[in-house]
Amino acid sequence: MHRYLASRLLGLLAVMGIVAVFVFVLTHAAPGDPVAVLLGDQASAEDIARVRVQYGLDKPLPVQFAYWLREVLHGNLGQSIFLQRPVTQALAERAEPTALLAAMAVLIASAIGVPCGVASAVYRGRWIDQLFTGIAMLGASIPSFWLGLVLMQLFAVGLGWFPVSGYGSPEAGLGERLHALVLPAIVLGLLNSALVIRFTRAAMLEVLEEDYVRTARSKGLPERTVVLKHALRNALVPIVTVIGLTVALMIGGAVVTETVFGLPGVGSLVVNAVLRRDYPVIQGALLAVAAIYVVINLLVDLLYMAVDPRVKL
Amino acid sequence: MKLPLTLRRLMRRRIVMAAAAVLAIVAVMALAAPWVAGHDPNDTEVMARLQGPGAAHLLGTDELGRDLYARIVHGARYSLAIAALTATGAVLFGSLIGLVAGFFRRLDAPLMRVVDAMMALPDILLAIALVAILGATLVNVVLALVFVYTPRVARVVRASTLVVRELLFVEAVRALGVGTARILWRHILPNLMSPILVQLSFIFAYAILAEAGLSFLGVGVPPDIPTWGTMVAGSQQYAHQAFWVVLFPGLAIIVTALSLQLLGDGVRDLLDPRLKKSM
Amino acid sequence: MTHPRWHRRHVLAATLAACGGALALPRSASAQARSHLTLAMVAEPQTLDPMASTADLVGTIMQHVYEPLYTFNGKWHIVPMLAEALPTVSADGRRYVIPLRKGVPLHSGRELQADDVVASLKRWMEMAPRGKAVAKEVEDLAADGAGKVVITLKNAYAPLLAQLALPTGMAAIMAKEAIATPLKEFIGTGPYRFKERKPDQYVLLSRFEQYSPRKEAASGYGGRREALVDELRFVPVPNANTRVEGVLAGQYHFADLLPIESLPRLEQANGRVVPIRTPSFGFPYLVFNTKEGVFASQPLRQAVEMAIGEGEMMAAGFGDTRFFSVQPNHFPEGTPFYSTAGADHYNQRNAAKAKELAEKAGYKGEPIRVLTSRQYDFHYNMALVMAEQLKRAGFKPQLEVVDWATLVQRRNDPKLWDLYVTHSGQFPEPMLSPPQLGDGAPGWWNSATKQRVLADFNREADPAKRGALWAKVQQLVYEEVPYIMVGKFSSLSARLPALEGYAPAIWPFFWNVRVKG
Repeated sequence: MHRYLASRLLGLLAVMGIVAVFVFVLTHAAPGDPVAVLLGDQASAEDIARVRVQYGLDKPLPVQFAYWLREVLHGNLGQSIFLQRPVTQALAERAEPTALLAAMAVLIASAIGVPCGVASAVYRGRWIDQLFTGIAMLGASIPSFWLGLVLMQLFAVGLGWFPVSGYGSPEAGLGERLHALVLPAIVLGLLNSALVIRFTRAAMLEVLEEDYVRTARSKGLPERTVVLKHALRNALVPIVTVIGLTVALMIGGAVVTETVFGLPGVGSLVVNAVLRRDYPVIQGALLAVAAIYVVINLLVDLLYMAVDPRVKL
Repeated sequence: MKLPLTLRRLMRRRIVMAAAAVLAIVAVMALAAPWVAGHDPNDTEVMARLQGPGAAHLLGTDELGRDLYARIVHGARYSLAIAALTATGAVLFGSLIGLVAGFFRRLDAPLMRVVDAMMALPDILLAIALVAILGATLVNVVLALVFVYTPRVARVVRASTLVVRELLFVEAVRALGVGTARILWRHILPNLMSPILVQLSFIFAYAILAEAGLSFLGVGVPPDIPTWGTMVAGSQQYAHQAFWVVLFPGLAIIVTALSLQLLGDGVRDLLDPRLKKSM
Repeated sequence: MTHPRWHRRHVLAATLAACGGALALPRSASAQARSHLTLAMVAEPQTLDPMASTADLVGTIMQHVYEPLYTFNGKWHIVPMLAEALPTVSADGRRYVIPLRKGVPLHSGRELQADDVVASLKRWMEMAPRGKAVAKEVEDLAADGAGKVVITLKNAYAPLLAQLALPTGMAAIMAKEAIATPLKEFIGTGPYRFKERKPDQYVLLSRFEQYSPRKEAASGYGGRREALVDELRFVPVPNANTRVEGVLAGQYHFADLLPIESLPRLEQANGRVVPIRTPSFGFPYLVFNTKEGVFASQPLRQAVEMAIGEGEMMAAGFGDTRFFSVQPNHFPEGTPFYSTAGADHYNQRNAAKAKELAEKAGYKGEPIRVLTSRQYDFHYNMALVMAEQLKRAGFKPQLEVVDWATLVQRRNDPKLWDLYVTHSGQFPEPMLSPPQLGDGAPGWWNSATKQRVLADFNREADPAKRGALWAKVQQLVYEEVPYIMVGKFSSLSARLPALEGYAPAIWPFFWNVRVKG
């Protein structure tokens, strides 16, 4: 167990190291000068040069990378050029909407996906299966911005049940914030439920063919008990895996939805940073998102392992 | 009651056949665009802007008076080309990496670490960052998307390679003196065809959606190239008084992506039920 | 090991809790007695330092916090703001003595002094582009006691007061000790003080209780300013669609710069919103790279001028004829600088003649790199139409659509572009815009004639005579074609009926407005 954990952690470090190099090279290969953007339309060449030195942008790349890496390891992701505050603070401020959105979306995706997937597996081949599988495919074919625009038009503009955009007023409480997240969560939840349906169905199908299910059936237990008590319990592991992965996906993958609904989350932070050539934010945010994804993956794998003794290390 | 096996297979196949037919129609229209379109997709007729579907313009006009039907048909060329190139590239590179990683034990760990690193970044964010760096041109969008999807293919192909490797008793064959290249080319690769084909189909679908998403955010192909994504992005603010400018390109995306996924699913079911689990 | 029933119950409980939270009354409703306005703007301001950016947005927001010495009233006349009265100007037009108002409190509590003004103006002249242009004319700037500021010029310079008055790239008067680059504190004298900024979320300004207003009636940006609303919230809403929907849904009190296409929607909303047309808002213009590349050749620029049809471009950009006009005069009728000089060069749309001229000038089919951006949709739509017009005249336009930040950066390099699309507000003083009338702006227009004609124009102290001198400048612009003014447009914004007292303005201001209910 310890050896497995140690090797996994080493692998994690290796992965993060590669990500760090990659992210750094990526952002520094970008055209567009963040200093020119910061100082405004008609800044002079001397002003730009001066501020470049101030931000250390005049040193050779490997040197900049070394400095950056050292800072990162001390927990300092740098200072945002545009926002004039530490990147870690910017991320912390933007983490809440993204986290809440991811949580709500995962809830919706699971609430829809798991029952549909189970039903699909149980009634395999019948019209219910066809319907749910078809819906799952449809869900994976709809662009999220399109669905977002449609739902916004129906529920926010037309019926006025939800705010059109934004994350609530500056002094809003949790309730108002969650209320503003409902529509985007529905968009993300609906679209990601496709994935959950497919995985649940596949997992249930596998489990339903196992011996112990047959045993349970032959014992004369009602089908409902067989399905819910025995099969689902064992199928939960891959299902939870998928849900865990979905959470990880949403952390950075909700970019388009955040843009449509004007949510100040991590995704829109990165998009704006790219448009403004705010290198420190791009680097820091990508690194943080990758780290979260990798850690969640590790946790899900450990959970898998802890819960299902059949899984070999 | 379960339906008889053959009937189920048939129904499955019918939907798959329908999907394939839809795709064929889309592809033919894209290829024949100049003859099928009727209007020049770049012909701006400012006086005829935002007209609804009608006799003069089959699906209406956009905010610059350009015929929507012509733009969708021409847009199919670009959207499909981008997606096809992406899928081909991702499958080629991904299969290569996956094959090598799955076959050569010593290369497995380092290659997979790199693949893990590439997959640690969410696809949209990575694509945005890449396009921002390389510059927003059609070629660069394809390159960025290939980069994003290659690791996903690599994972799948590696998993399948591992399975096939065991099944074929590769160690034994090698001990007999059969060359590595020959093993890879004549024995392993043919068995990977079905998961590769399935991946091709799915990545094609994801690429269409990804390109649309990038264009919507304004970081995709330049807006004067008519892909379905840039059409929705460009016209979204006119959506309320002229919903067709967003509706029809959106439908084109949905229909094509759905057909591709149905096709991929059907191919997977038909060709190799054993490998159903490998997504 | 998760038991399915427990798992379900757990999920159920969590969902109920979330729903319960969502249905609960927002805390803000009961706790709030303060009035506020939510103002939807086109973007997030790049900076809150009004001297560091010429962006309209920065000026719009920070004009509530900082005040200039002089400003424009409703008729675009210069009126005093922080100055007590118009300056005493020496006979040769070189010495301006500006008296300051007494007892004007800064947000930090103490009273404004002449050295605050001098320090602020010095910073402005070092940082802001227009400030730098003014600095070239200034020989000396100093305080005269605590209540007067004296500016000594090298030569008579007619645009001086207008330059001091413009809200963008503002000659903002700040507290001396708050001056730093970058600005950390925003201490001004305006009716609102800076409260908080969360980038990409909001900028909050709150009422300055000790504000000392002028006595004259409000007119334009001048006169009495009262903060009738406790808090102003400027929120960035870059998606134009969302701004429209937001104001329709009552989420924003004011939505800035809406697409003209949304007007029918706003008009048909049963009075839920009030559409606002700000007439004579501005003009789009095209800038030529006269330094390097294809357009270093004047005949080729003239050929382009012949080929394009400004009328068609304006129609593509703005759609509704209520919102644009196609006129050759750079300044509207009724203003001192109205002139139709050079009108025969405008809106020619003559592809054949243009092609001929281009061939004679030696055009060999080189690509013409046109820089434009989608940040303002009308830029892009106009560029598309222009490209078609150029193609008909045998040119090979190559549209490079980039984001605004990249455009702003690229236009500083003469190797990277031939033509770019932009717009400006319509100001009463020609030297305020476009920047190509000055020196060093992208395009790098320079000729002996330009220097001579502009020097004459700017040295003339008598406004009556100066108006006539503009005709010569305008004629020159039509002949040497450093830039092409495409037309004039009005802007569309919208407000809720509950927002009362709003006067349409190029840089919307929210003093003297109240929110009903």
